[in-house]
Amino acid sequence: MNRLPHIFAAFAALLATAAGAFAYTFYARHTEYKYVHAVAAQDHSEISRGIAVERAALEQPDLLLIYGASELVLLETEYEATRFFSSYPTGFMVFNAATKGGSSLTVAQRLAALGPELHGRRVIFALGPAIMTMAPFGDVAQRHYEGNFSELHALELAFSPRLSLETKRLVARRMLDFPETLAPSPFLVFTIRQLEQPSLPGTLLHFASWPLGRLQLAILHLQDHYAAVEYIHHLSAAEVAITREPRTVDWQALTKEAELEQMENTDSNPFGVDDSQWPKIKELFIAPAAYGTRDLDFINDVTIAREWNDLRLALSVIRELGADAIIMSSPMNVPLWETIGVSEDAQNTYYELLHSVVDPYDIPVLDGKEWGRIPFFSMDLASHASRKGWIYVDQRLDQIYHRRLP
Amino acid sequence: MWTRGLIRSIIAGSRSPLGRAVLLSAYYLAIIAALIVMYGKGDFSSTGFVYQGF
Repeated sequence: MNRLPHIFAAFAALLATAAGAFAYTFYARHTEYKYVHAVAAQDHSEISRGIAVERAALEQPDLLLIYGASELVLLETEYEATRFFSSYPTGFMVFNAATKGGSSLTVAQRLAALGPELHGRRVIFALGPAIMTMAPFGDVAQRHYEGNFSELHALELAFSPRLSLETKRLVARRMLDFPETLAPSPFLVFTIRQLEQPSLPGTLLHFASWPLGRLQLAILHLQDHYAAVEYIHHLSAAEVAITREPRTVDWQALTKEAELEQMENTDSNPFGVDDSQWPKIKELFIAPAAYGTRDLDFINDVTIAREWNDLRLALSVIRELGADAIIMSSPMNVPLWETIGVSEDAQNTYYELLHSVVDPYDIPVLDGKEWGRIPFFSMDLASHASRKGWIYVDQRLDQIYHRRLP
Repeated sequence: MWTRGLIRSIIAGSRSPLGRAVLLSAYYLAIIAALIVMYGKGDFSSTGFVYQGF
């Protein structure tokens, strides 16, 4: 039997498929660029494990991208940056890519997935003291890491030609601490295991699997584009409409307004904790501890936190990709921690460690320490920004965007 | 019936080498399309874990 017609036909079908994929990618990119501002103004957690729209956002000069964790996404309020800047009051809008349960390890992979597009672009890496000071061993919770894990991000990191083998190896080693996230994809398991090994065979096998990795990534990118276009098509006409209403923002008046609103939402307790968070932590305040009696435990916890090493990984990715990143930390909620027996001196350990980790990378860090004693700034022990806190954060973002900071 | 007409056209087309090549290509393309429909959709939404905070 002559198989030649089958080979030609199969080849023609593959060629037609490739042409179709190419044409769809072109269409999807056009759609993503056209509607990226509308997506920025919405809760886009439906596509948060992709990168198509984030890449489009990176190329918009009037969008400021923020990566990070729940410190900047937990409270739903009109003062939250996405909503506050949605009408371009000072000439830009925020693309908030921070996620609930996010961590430095998640951010390292997300930024790595953006690749060369990140070069020279200003992005904010917002972090807070919660994981370092409150999580067991200062490590990201498994369920939080799993909830934010993306095969696309992980493979982009593994097959990034811009990142050093050393950085990729260190991230791969950490990824293996969460084997459940890798298990659904045998190829990802193989890739990460080879990458993690410092041996010559491991390295050679990793490079040998490079073409297959890029092919898998091409498929994932197509799926990502499809998900992004589907998401955009489901936006209503009102959601797609972006209004630009420049105005002078009276930050002081807004701060007072937000403080009153926050006070109304803390009447369940005398410590200024938001009513939504109080039930989760009220046991800690049944018998307030004497000042400084928990200092040693606190200092030990924050010093051994694994999150610091993950932060180093994220910083390595930022430096190697040449991003114009700014580290913006939430403050310790100083009075609240004092109530449970941790003195301000002990709390300062967080800032000291933050600077000792970030400073060697020559990446600017705004540690937020000056906000630590502002009443009603944080809504809980984990430094989630309150309504009032958001006004300070918004003002800071405005200063960063307009290059008045750092 | 349109199905009979379609079958007749396919049989007629398969008699020439060019027609056979086109039909075979369409056949493989249909297989690829079916695979894409069945397995092609990815999931990029954050999974439904309950964020419990700290």
